[in-house]
Parts: sequence; C-alpha cells; structure tokens
Amino acid sequence: MNYGPLLFLAAFFALAGSWFGFVLTPQAQLGQLQATNLLGGSIPYPQGRPGLARQGLEVYRANGCADCHSQQLRQSGTVCDVVLSAVGTNAPAVWSALQRLKAEEGDTRFRLLGVLTVTGALQRLKAEEADTRPTTLDPLPSTPVLEGLTPAKADAAAKALNAAGAKAAVSIVPVGPDLARGWGKRRSVARDFVFDYPVALGSQRIGPDLADLAARQPDAGWHLRHLYAPRLEVKGSAMPPFRFLFETRRIERSPSPDALVLPRPLAPPPGYEIVPKPEAGALVAYLLSLRADAPLFEAPLTLASGPAAAEATNAPAASDLAATNASAGSAAASTNAAPTNAPAK
Amino acid sequence: MPRETGEPTAENRPVPVWLMVLLFALLYWGMVFFDRSSGWFDAEVYAPYASLADLQAFQPRGGGFSAEHFRTIYESNCGLCHGNDGKGKPSQAPPYVGSDWVTGSPNRMIRIPLSGLSGPVQVNGTEWNLSMPAMGATLSDDDLAGVLTYIRQTFGSKASPITPEQVKKVKAEIGAHPPWTAQELQAVE
Repeated sequence: MNYGPLLFLAAFFALAGSWFGFVLTPQAQLGQLQATNLLGGSIPYPQGRPGLARQGLEVYRANGCADCHSQQLRQSGTVCDVVLSAVGTNAPAVWSALQRLKAEEGDTRFRLLGVLTVTGALQRLKAEEADTRPTTLDPLPSTPVLEGLTPAKADAAAKALNAAGAKAAVSIVPVGPDLARGWGKRRSVARDFVFDYPVALGSQRIGPDLADLAARQPDAGWHLRHLYAPRLEVKGSAMPPFRFLFETRRIERSPSPDALVLPRPLAPPPGYEIVPKPEAGALVAYLLSLRADAPLFEAPLTLASGPAAAEATNAPAASDLAATNASAGSAAASTNAAPTNAPAK
Repeated sequence: MPRETGEPTAENRPVPVWLMVLLFALLYWGMVFFDRSSGWFDAEVYAPYASLADLQAFQPRGGGFSAEHFRTIYESNCGLCHGNDGKGKPSQAPPYVGSDWVTGSPNRMIRIPLSGLSGPVQVNGTEWNLSMPAMGATLSDDDLAGVLTYIRQTFGSKASPITPEQVKKVKAEIGAHPPWTAQELQAVE
C-alpha cells in the first residue's frame, strides 16, 4: 500500500463529490418546497391527499403499479396562442387587423387555422350581404386565431386585435408528445409530489402515465371495473386484472350499493355479487386524487374553458409495445377470464 | 561485437498548440451552453424553460380568471358536499339544481358561504336540517363572487352574476356573524 493515502483521498473526493451533487444540492434546492397558491387564485396547491387516498398510495405501492405506470409528464416546449373571445362592434377593423396579422405571420411556420376560419366566415357574410366590408361577425367563442407564437409576438398580436375593439387574450399552451396524448396539461414538477411519501414516479410506461389521471377519468366506477377487468374498459389493455382486490360473496338481505355491474361473461352467478375490498376502495381514492394540472409559476398554462379533454387517450406511450403485449396477453386473458369469477363457495 | 544500445526512454514533448486551442474552445462552448440553458440551477426553472426570464415571459396574462378556474374552486370547496353536478348529497348538503336559494337574491346567497348556515331549511320542497360551515370566508372577493356566479349559471339556471363589489359590500355589512338560520336569510332582500 504505497499509495494508501492517495487512494483514500481519491475515493473520498469521488464519494464526497457525488454526495454534494446528488444529495446536498437537491436538498438545498428543493428540500424546503412547500404548497403554494395557484396562479391568480387563493387555493393552496398541492393539497394533501385525503386519508383514504393516502392508504391507496400504499396499495399502489404494494401491487407494483409504479412498475408499469409513470407519474411524470414531460413537456418539450411552451407556445402562446392568441384567443379571440369576442369580435366587438367594429368587425371591419378586426377583420383588417386579422388580415395584417395573417400577412405578417402567414408565410412562417406558425399555424393560422383560426384566422382562416374567421376570415372564411367573414367572406361568407360578404357574399351573402353583397357588401365589401362585413358589419357583423358571428363571434367564435374562444377561437385561437394564431397558434404557436413566441410570447412577444403573441402580446403584439393581442394588442393589435384589442386595439381594433375585439377581445383577444394570450393563452399559454404547454406542448409535447405526452401532452398531445391527452395525458395532462403541463409537465410534472417537484411541487406536485410535496405531500407524497414515497413518490411513486415510476420509470416505465407499459401503461399510460397517471400524473393527471383523475382529470381524464374522474369516474370511480370506471376505475373499479377497470381494476377488475381492464379489457372491459380499455380495448387491448396490457394490464393484468386485479381481481384479488375484490370479493365475490353471497348477497345477504339486500345487494351492496358498491357491487360491480359487469356484463354477462364476467357477471357473478345469481345470488352473488362482486364487491371491492377496502384495498380497492383506497386504491381508487388514490387514483382519483392524481390530478396535476394546476397552473403554477414554474409550470404556467392558461386553462381552457371549453371541454378540451375530449381526445384524451389512455393508450400507452409505446404503441408497438402495447400491440405486442396485447397479442401476447389475449391468450392469457382467455384463460383467466371465467374461472376466477366463480363464487367463493 | 555490436555495442548494446541503452534502454529506450520517453522524452518530454510539449502539448500541441491545436489541442490547447480546441480544449479552450470546448470549454468556452460549454460555459455558453450552461449559461443559456441551465437556468443557473434555479429550483423554479424546469426543462423547457431556459431561464427565469424565459419562464416569466410565459406567465399567464391578465388575471387568468376563467370558468375553469372557478370550477376548480367549486370542486375543491363546494362540490365535496353539494356534488360536482350540483345535485347535493343525501345527509350532506342540499342540491343547487332547481333551488330558489341559488337563483334568488344575490345578497342572500353571498351571506351563506361567508358565515355558514345551520338549522332547518327548505330546498325544493324538502326540509334539510344540517349545518354548513363558513366555507367561503377564506376565499378572496374575486374568487367568492366567481364561484357563486359559477353556481348560479351552471346548474341549469341562468341567474344574474355576482360581482366582487357585491361580495365586498355584504362582507362589510355583516362583519363576523354566527351561522345564519333560514329565517334570518329569508328576511334579507
């Protein structure tokens, strides 16, 4: 050991360096993270999960849900849309302002679907009324007239439209592949997990991301049926059924209000009912508490007032993976469909 | 007999100048990249945003109040008992749908969340005898007015909106008041 002290020092500095980088610095950065107020409001965010949901986190953990589901949405960028909510009384001025904006932005990479729609409506009016300048314009509620702008350009465009008497506002739109799938509205940030221990971030996406699950599927009955028989609710789901979270029991005096309503092949025999065990109730309470779409300073967005979640999908990220899983799993599903549904005695 | 040559020895050679230049150029590029896209390790700056200034440029403009905002307030404050569909819940809270307490006098409606309501109350011809805490006392004037307007205009009715000024006026009138009874409220115009 000629070099004993040197080796010791090298090992010491290597370990100390990683400790500083991976433990101390993140702790100094985020260790004091607290709930904050939502942008433009007085509601604290995040709010601690209710007791049942907290128990559900343990069920989530125990059943390895985090092995297949992540809870971290990514975001590749943020753009600004200019939204026209009302045209106002001076439609011709708005029209010419839109035309100017179209001329400015038209040949660039920005999309102008909204402008074309609005001008299309205007041109139709023109033809009908045989007037060179439209006097009225059917207000298109909350139409994005310019999409994908930088903040400075969006502000300028909104100012130009407001100066023409219209009501235009800039809306902040996070974009990215995860968000395009309808999994959420913005990226996940550390603050979303302040009250969780442990944080069930997950690392694989064999199933869809669950960070904002409650927003796209707020129905507890759906979640229970999906846990009992995933393919009942999601075609080609690769998720295994979690039937041990349910109990098939003889109906006593009156049927339980919690009993699952299942289609024929899965339905219990007459006189029996399938009810969720307390674990299933807790897990669903936890799933329904997964909602991370609040606008924060570090993850700003403008919430749309319309129903924008229509195209939300539960499809997993890797669709080819899902396809292989589906084909592999269909054989398994046919084997475990009926027998497990037999009455307990 | 050939003379044996000595063992070969390594000689010192200076580091080539081009390598030094390349290393400094790489170092410079690295520092510029760090400066542009690290956010200087700010805890508030996450990936798509390069810096705090970049993040600030993307903050929502002008208040950011929307129907969605008030729906969030409704669901986290009122909807737990009155139901997200406003239909109320048995033994928890009476419905909003079809209730004349919702469509009636704004001054009466504003008073309920500010101080709560306890005791028997007739809603849609059914008597409820429960106790509601002062759920709205901690909300700001804007938020309370917005969420009351949301209730008035969402659940099947189109009653007049409630303004923050009205809320402010009522707050000043009643001060700190114990929970209302239905009779007290019926007396309010």
